[in-house]
Formats: sequence, structure tokens, C-alpha cells
Amino acid sequence: MEIPTETQPEVESLNKLMKKTLVSVVLAGVALALYRSFALMPGYQGLNLGLSNYIIESGLKDTGSLNLITAVLYDYRAFDSLGESTVIFGAVSGIVLILSRKMLPVSSKGLSFIVKRTLGIMTPFIALFGLYIMSHGHLTPGGGFQGGVILAAISIIFSIVYGSAFDYRRYSPQTKTALETGGALTFLGLGLAGILMEGAFLQNLGFLTAETGTLISAGSIPYINIGVGFKVGAGLAIIFYSMIQKTFEEDF
Amino acid sequence: MSWMNIELVLLIVLPAVIAVIMAFSSSFKQRTRNILAVTGAGIELCLVFSLFLLNFEAVKSSEFFLQFTTGYSNTPFVINFAMDNLSLLFSLIVTAAVFLIVIFSTQYIRDKESRYFALFFLVLASIQGSILTADLFTLYLFIEAITVFTTPLISFKKTEKTTRAALQYFFYGITGGVFFFISIILIYFNLGTLKMAAVADSFALISTPMQLTIIIFFLLALLIKLGIFPIHFWLPRAHSACPAPISALLSGVLLKVYLYIFMRLFWTMIAFDFLVELHLSAFVLDLALVSSLIGHVFALQADELKKMLAYSSIGHIGMILAVLMLNTEAAFYGGLLHIIAHMMMKSGLFLSSGYLLRTTLSHHIDDLKGIGHKNRLVFIAFIIICLGTIGMPPLIGFVSKWFVLLAFLEARHYFGAFVVGAGSIIALIYYLRYISQAYETVKTENKTLREELVSLKVFFKSTNIMKNVIYLFTLLIIIFGLSYQFFEMPINTAIFELLNPQKYIELVLGG
Repeated sequence: MEIPTETQPEVESLNKLMKKTLVSVVLAGVALALYRSFALMPGYQGLNLGLSNYIIESGLKDTGSLNLITAVLYDYRAFDSLGESTVIFGAVSGIVLILSRKMLPVSSKGLSFIVKRTLGIMTPFIALFGLYIMSHGHLTPGGGFQGGVILAAISIIFSIVYGSAFDYRRYSPQTKTALETGGALTFLGLGLAGILMEGAFLQNLGFLTAETGTLISAGSIPYINIGVGFKVGAGLAIIFYSMIQKTFEEDF
Repeated sequence: MSWMNIELVLLIVLPAVIAVIMAFSSSFKQRTRNILAVTGAGIELCLVFSLFLLNFEAVKSSEFFLQFTTGYSNTPFVINFAMDNLSLLFSLIVTAAVFLIVIFSTQYIRDKESRYFALFFLVLASIQGSILTADLFTLYLFIEAITVFTTPLISFKKTEKTTRAALQYFFYGITGGVFFFISIILIYFNLGTLKMAAVADSFALISTPMQLTIIIFFLLALLIKLGIFPIHFWLPRAHSACPAPISALLSGVLLKVYLYIFMRLFWTMIAFDFLVELHLSAFVLDLALVSSLIGHVFALQADELKKMLAYSSIGHIGMILAVLMLNTEAAFYGGLLHIIAHMMMKSGLFLSSGYLLRTTLSHHIDDLKGIGHKNRLVFIAFIIICLGTIGMPPLIGFVSKWFVLLAFLEARHYFGAFVVGAGSIIALIYYLRYISQAYETVKTENKTLREELVSLKVFFKSTNIMKNVIYLFTLLIIIFGLSYQFFEMPINTAIFELLNPQKYIELVLGG
């Protein structure tokens, strides 16, 4: 009886040690193999320089967007962006499907009076900033995804500072779903408009272009940005709400 | 920039639009939503079918090729969509199967339909996208999208078991996606392009060890997604946990889409000779055959109906992959025909299992006592489809297995031929186990078969729609088994594409 009680921990620790050594040996082998083949990769200089040169030279001319990243995201490879935002849309649907519960933990207390008042003054500016980032995506750094995240942050701050009941009453999930769907339909609608007016899906709409550098320029890019922004913002807010919901079994 | 082939994008965008509307449809009436879902899938099917009919002459002479470019066609990084005979064949059969599954699920799914259909149509959109795209990054995007969208559908019924299955599915799917992505990065760093045709043109320029790394990562990604032997254990859990229409979608449709991507990558993009040169084709062939055998053997010990069907899927997919790796014309013929056959049979089996298991306590074999008496006609359909999967002569399963067997014998690969035969015999045993269990108890209800047929008169009653979809699958299996020549022309043109990838490459790069 005494022997196992003494040796058991030792054997276990030995087993653990064996396992660890084995794992590290295997990992080291894989790392070596990967290094051997990745070392063959041509250096950064070998990359296709024509691509970046092309974007820098004729990105502005083609799209009218000063922000070349936005030009690539929403014009050259707009279809991939559509796919990505569809993935967000699907993820929101999936999370709501999995986590949908009837109950919201009602905490209407929130934080202290000082925080509440300060945030009350700041909120419009945060919203303005989010909208600015969204609508100026073709002129300055930023765009629909970034602006949408800022808008979603407002919703999250609200439910922390004022209590979740407040935000829930103000902007019900139905409103958020409507905003999300509206954003997605804007994106898709602009794509279909591209087919009708320019002959290619998501083609930049010619009649919307104006002088470079003004707010309403760069064809359909700003509108796509706004659509994506609302979609991402509402989507993230919905995800946040699905995650803070509780079941009856969980204790409060 | 052509008006001509705008349909290709519409095929992808249309399901996405329907999905967005569906997500907002929680306040719609159920009837409206069902009509919307069925018409949406119907329009999609009509679009693909009209593409087939309108270009019938071109398809026949295997000159059929549609392509569409978004954005500025003179830039080096446009997104291409291309459809050749192979894509057309897959697009057609996949859409047809999805259409029937949608009809079934309008009646089967009874809560949270709006989210269900939103995700379902997103899956359809990504399937079409991954079939039609000619750009590696877009392909990666759609593959990931399929994984992300199907995961919540697997855990549709929120229990511990389904959640575990879904998380495991998600984990392995994402891991496969990461491997895929590594390959894409390597290709981009070496060649500076992601167009499949351009990659195909200059793949030989990459140094051999690099080629090996790229091919190995692609193989790993696809073997995980296909559920081939060493990494197959997530598949039965995921495919048996979800609601019946989703099982049919995963097992019947999605695995075929991954097979299509496999063919696209290893015949069109990376020429098959590279696989032979690097001694990988023989390895994958043996692995697939072992996987097939193991799938069938594990199906023997599965005590749950849906798990058994999922294991049998592993067996069939392994066999198809193995026969494709033979790289002969006969092998392609058998493989493609079995893809079509397996799609019909597995979808039919999963849908009928969903119908049968509605009234039982659990999916366990002991609880299936007497279901053969309770749902007589549906169970007869189930038996017929089972016989099809085993390979009984008048059904399509026999025809396709026959051609697979011939291909193995022609290539003098006797282990493959053995696996096909052994798989059939093992399948006979495990199906019989369930069939005998279903007729275990004494008959209690006195409704005759004739009365049951007469009750079909109310054709559009909700339970009858489900039954009718199952009967339709059964009828298709019998009809196509008798007239499999119907598929001869489309399959032969698809084989033409596999054997002459040069056509695809030239047309994509030239146009």
C-alpha cells in the first residue's frame, strides 16, 4: 500500500516530463523543417513591385480616392470586402442563433453620477468621430470597418455606464438588426447598381465622381463605407448584447 | 467588362441578398418566408439550368466557357470568375440538391427559421462562390465563409453534444483554412500573383522544395476538410449532431464542393504531374483507400443512425478521392458519376433519417424498434436508398460503383478494387442491422400501403412535403440508375476540362 502512494506522484511527474520532452522534440523538428523550406523564400525585394507601383501611380486616377488602401478595399477588390462583411453578417447571425436567450440581466444602476454626466457630454462627440471616420474613408485613414467599431463602442459604453437596461430601451435589437440589414443592402445595392449603370458588379459609379479631395467624390466608395460602417457597428453591438444575456439557471 | 456573363456574379449575389432579407424576416408570416426561400433557391436553380440549356451546343463540344471580371480589367489584381464544364456540372448538381433540401427544411425547421435560412442561403452563396471563382484569395475567403456559416447551423439545437461537435468542427475547419492560407502566402511570395491561371502558367518556375511545401499544405488543408483518415474524427460528430437538412447539406453537398476544389487545385492550377513527380499521388491514393476501409468498419460499430451514415460518408469520400488519384479517363468517369450518385443518396438518406427520427426517443439503435411499421412508405424509400449505396443493380449506386471498380481494375490497382467490394459488403451488414431493428416489433397499425398512398392526395400538407422530397430522391435514384447515360455528356465534357487544363488557363489569361 505504501509503495504506490510514494511512487505515484513521481511516476506521474516523470510521465509529464516525458510528454513535454516528446512534444518539444516534435515541435523543434517541425520548426526546423519549416525553417528549411521557408528560408528558400525569396526576400521582400523579390515581391512584385509592379503591383505597388501600379497602385501608387494610377490608384487615384482610377478611383478618385486619396486613401489608396480604401481604393484597394472598396474598388479594386471590392468583391472580397463584400465577402468579408458577409462573413461578419453570418457570424452575427450565428452568434444570435446560438446565444439567443430570453433574459437580459437588468442592471439599471450603472456607475456613479460623475461618470454618467461626463459620458453624456462626450457621447455626441464620439458619435461624430465615428461618423467622420466612416464618411471620410476615401480621404483620410479609416473607413467603414473602423468607424463602425467606434459606433459599436458607444453602445457598449452605454450599457456599462448607464446599465444595460438603458441602452436596451433606447436602441432595441430590432433597430440594430434593421440598421445591419440596411447596411448590407446598401453594399449589395451599390454592387447591383454597378451592373446596371457601368456594366460590372461593384464598378465605381461614374456619375458620383467629383473633384478629388472633396467629401462627395470617389464614386460609390463613400456610400459603401457608410453602409459597411452601419453594418459592422450594429453587428458588433448585437454580438455584445447576445454575449451579456443570461439564462435562468445562471446565478446573478 | 462584358454584359454577357454577368450571371456568374448574380449566382453568388442572389443567395446573399435572400439571406439578408431572411435575417430580417422574423416578423414575416411563416408562409411568406417559406415561399421566399423556395423561390430563391428555385431561381438560382433556373439560372444555372438556363446557363446549361442556352449553351447546350457549346457544352456538347466542350467549348463552353464563361468568365467575368470585376473592376478594371487592365490592372494586375482584378477578381475573376470563370465557369467551364467542370464548374457547370458541379454548380448544377449542387444547386439542385440544395433546392430539394430547402423544400424539406421549410417544413422540418420549426423555430428560429429566419436565422436558419439566413445562414443557409449564405452557405449557398459561398458554395457558388468557391465553385466559380478563379482567384486563390477569393477561394480562401469562400472556404472560410463556409466553415463560419455552417458552425452555428451544427449547434442549432443547443445541447452540450451539439456544441462540442460544432466547436470541434470549427477548430478543425479553421486549422485547415490556416494551412490553405500558408500555401497562398507562399505562392504569392514566389510568383507575385494569385490568379489561378497565372499560377498554373508559372508553377514550374518555383524551386522543388518550395513546390513540395506548397503542395503539402494544400493537401493537408483539403484532407482535413474532406475528413480523410488520420483527421476524420470530427466529421461523424459534426454530421450527426445537426438537424437533418444540415446533415444532408454537409455530407451530401459540402464534401463534394471540397472535392471540386481539390480537382481545381490539383488538376487545373497545379498540374497533376507535380504530384506524381513528388511521389505524393501514390501516398494520397493509399491514404484515401485506408480511410475508406476505416470509415466502413467504423460504421459497423456506430450505434446511432446518423453517426453510421456519417461514417459511411467517410468511406465513400475516401473511395472517390482514391479513384480520382488514379488520373485516368475511366477513373474520372467513375469518380464524377459516384460524386453525383453519392450526393443524391446521402442527401436522401439523411433527409429520410430526419423524418424517421422525429418520433423516436433518441437516435440510438435500440430506440428505432418498429419505425419500419410506423412509417412504412418512408422506410421503404429508406431501404431503397440504402440498397443504392450498397450498390444494387437497378440503382445509380450500382452504376457508379461499377465504373469505379472498372477504373481500379483497368489501372491494375487491386487493393482499390478490393476496398470497393469490401466496402459494399460491410455496408450491407451495417444497413441490415438497422433495417432488421426497424421491423423488430409486431405490426400494430392496420393502415395498408394502399391507404397510405391514397393519403398522399393532400400533396402539400406539411408532413407530406417532407415525405415527397424523400420519395423524389428515391425516384431520382431509380430513374438515373436506369438511364445513367443522361450524365454521360456532362461528365465527359468535365473530364475534358480535367485532362486539358490548358484551355482554362489560356481563356482566363487571354480574356
